[in-house]
Amino acid sequence: MTPWTIFWIALPFLVGFSIYLVPQGDRLLALGVTLVSALYAASLFGLGAPIEFHLLDSFGVTLVADPLSAYFVLTNALVTAAVFLYCWNTNKTAFFYIQAIILHGSINAAFIAADFISLYVALEVIGIAAFLLIAYPRRNPSLWVALRYLFVSNTAMLFYLVGAVLVYQSQQSFAFTGLGGAPLEAKVLILGGLLTKGGIFVSGLWLPLTHAEAESPVSALLSGVVVKAGAFPIVRLALMVEALDPVVRWFGVAAALLGVTYALLETDAKRVLACSTLSQLGWVLAAPTGAGFYALAHGLVKAALFLTVGNLPSRDLTVLRQYPIYTSLWLPLTLASLSISGFPGFVGFGAKMLTLKQALPWQTIALNVAATGTAILYAKFIFLPHQRAEKSADGAGIKPGLGMALTLLIGALLLANGVYLGAYTGPNVLKVLAIIGIGWLLYAWVIRPLTLRLPRVLENFDHLIGFMSLVLVMLLGRGWLWLF
Amino acid sequence: MLHACVYATILLGFFGIIFKENLVMKIIAMDVMSTGVIALFVLVAARHGVYTPIVADEAKGALADPVPQAVILTAIVIGFSIQALMLVGVMKLARDNPTLETREIEKGYRP
Repeated sequence: MTPWTIFWIALPFLVGFSIYLVPQGDRLLALGVTLVSALYAASLFGLGAPIEFHLLDSFGVTLVADPLSAYFVLTNALVTAAVFLYCWNTNKTAFFYIQAIILHGSINAAFIAADFISLYVALEVIGIAAFLLIAYPRRNPSLWVALRYLFVSNTAMLFYLVGAVLVYQSQQSFAFTGLGGAPLEAKVLILGGLLTKGGIFVSGLWLPLTHAEAESPVSALLSGVVVKAGAFPIVRLALMVEALDPVVRWFGVAAALLGVTYALLETDAKRVLACSTLSQLGWVLAAPTGAGFYALAHGLVKAALFLTVGNLPSRDLTVLRQYPIYTSLWLPLTLASLSISGFPGFVGFGAKMLTLKQALPWQTIALNVAATGTAILYAKFIFLPHQRAEKSADGAGIKPGLGMALTLLIGALLLANGVYLGAYTGPNVLKVLAIIGIGWLLYAWVIRPLTLRLPRVLENFDHLIGFMSLVLVMLLGRGWLWLF
Repeated sequence: MLHACVYATILLGFFGIIFKENLVMKIIAMDVMSTGVIALFVLVAARHGVYTPIVADEAKGALADPVPQAVILTAIVIGFSIQALMLVGVMKLARDNPTLETREIEKGYRP
């Protein structure tokens, strides 16, 4: 297993740099790498038990691969593959594929890293590659959004580094396992850094603008997998260190509610999706034991939604409500929206049920409210007017690239449903249908006529940095509460 | 005492990021902050001794811990490459926004 893991982790970087030499084969090579990742995830599922590697000696790199990482790796493989299929017939240069494949590789590395320094390196490479992808159109607005992203993420990582050295000072090792015995400050700084990087709760308010302003395929990558590279280590640490579990759950619930509130009051389609990512990441953290499955369900849906919305005639939902869209675009939009609302028959149902089952009693009510909110906000997409395309119409039907990407993503949504068939019990199905029904009614009566808009002042650059310190103080405050 | 100075450097850098208006000044403030973090790693490495750990017949004195130093080398390289990348971005932004004030840039590019 060790040679296979090293081959898998090194391959994206080797391929990425070889594309510079053979730019003609960029798409095929890139797609091949995602296939290898999918195979690796399958072999991890096959193993079942976690495997641990210590490369070099005791101060070397520590890696842990288990079924939890397998879910995240699979999400990464499917989403990246879908993005490559989507871009197949566009005129993206080899540079785009190089950055995307390096991003893919570094996200893979973050999903199996088990020491703070390997994780740091992986997260920083992710930051740089994501920066280059966001800035790819080379227009000034996208450059500014990219710069802002890199700035926030790098500042967060500096706090994380301080935390990492404090862990080393007390434990003589950078391994994740040492965090339990590390001082409170170390826990606070590391968790604070990761929460910002993963876009969770108020420290994640950089996320809506970044994800909404990037190009659709890049948004799909960012929302589908990049933020999960920040959320995954939090889940891993919460499962390892018992003391962190309640904090992580608390942040999960808070993020789920905050994201939904933001998304409900938005009318820009891409911003709705980006704010919903904010909320869905909360769901991933709310029950760390079910995180892998939920991350898979969310990654697939969000990638499909971003790719489809990128092809709509307008981003403004009020405009879309007046001019019918083509049924061929409406159908994938609805299927994906149903899955994320938790409709039975899709993976989203199983994922929601698993998370709710593993949630603590105090979380259940809040999570049900968040689920209703999710149903309301996706009703915005489901109830868009639509019409059949006329054969002669220009641009009718969907582009072949989009078609392939959506087939892959929605096929996976239906197939992955088989993972947790235990969810299909009478009460569960009824409960979900009731939540969705209430959500849709609320949409029709309350949300749709509502014209209230949230100010975007909180997303200003200075505030984003300020929120980082606020989250650190909040974490410290909770830490003091445990001590006394 | 040294610890206090190092933490003060980190905090000052962080406040610089928040309170400086100009984008280049913000990037320099971030550099100050990362200098503080690097100094902290060096300080942790030197907590038992300051002599370079090289195999020799007789040790000169208490040895420094090589692990944090080796690790921070990676972080220094990553840090300066990120800063170089940011400055290139800022150079491009500066053509249209000569003052480089974040508030103005933000206003101009809000969709």
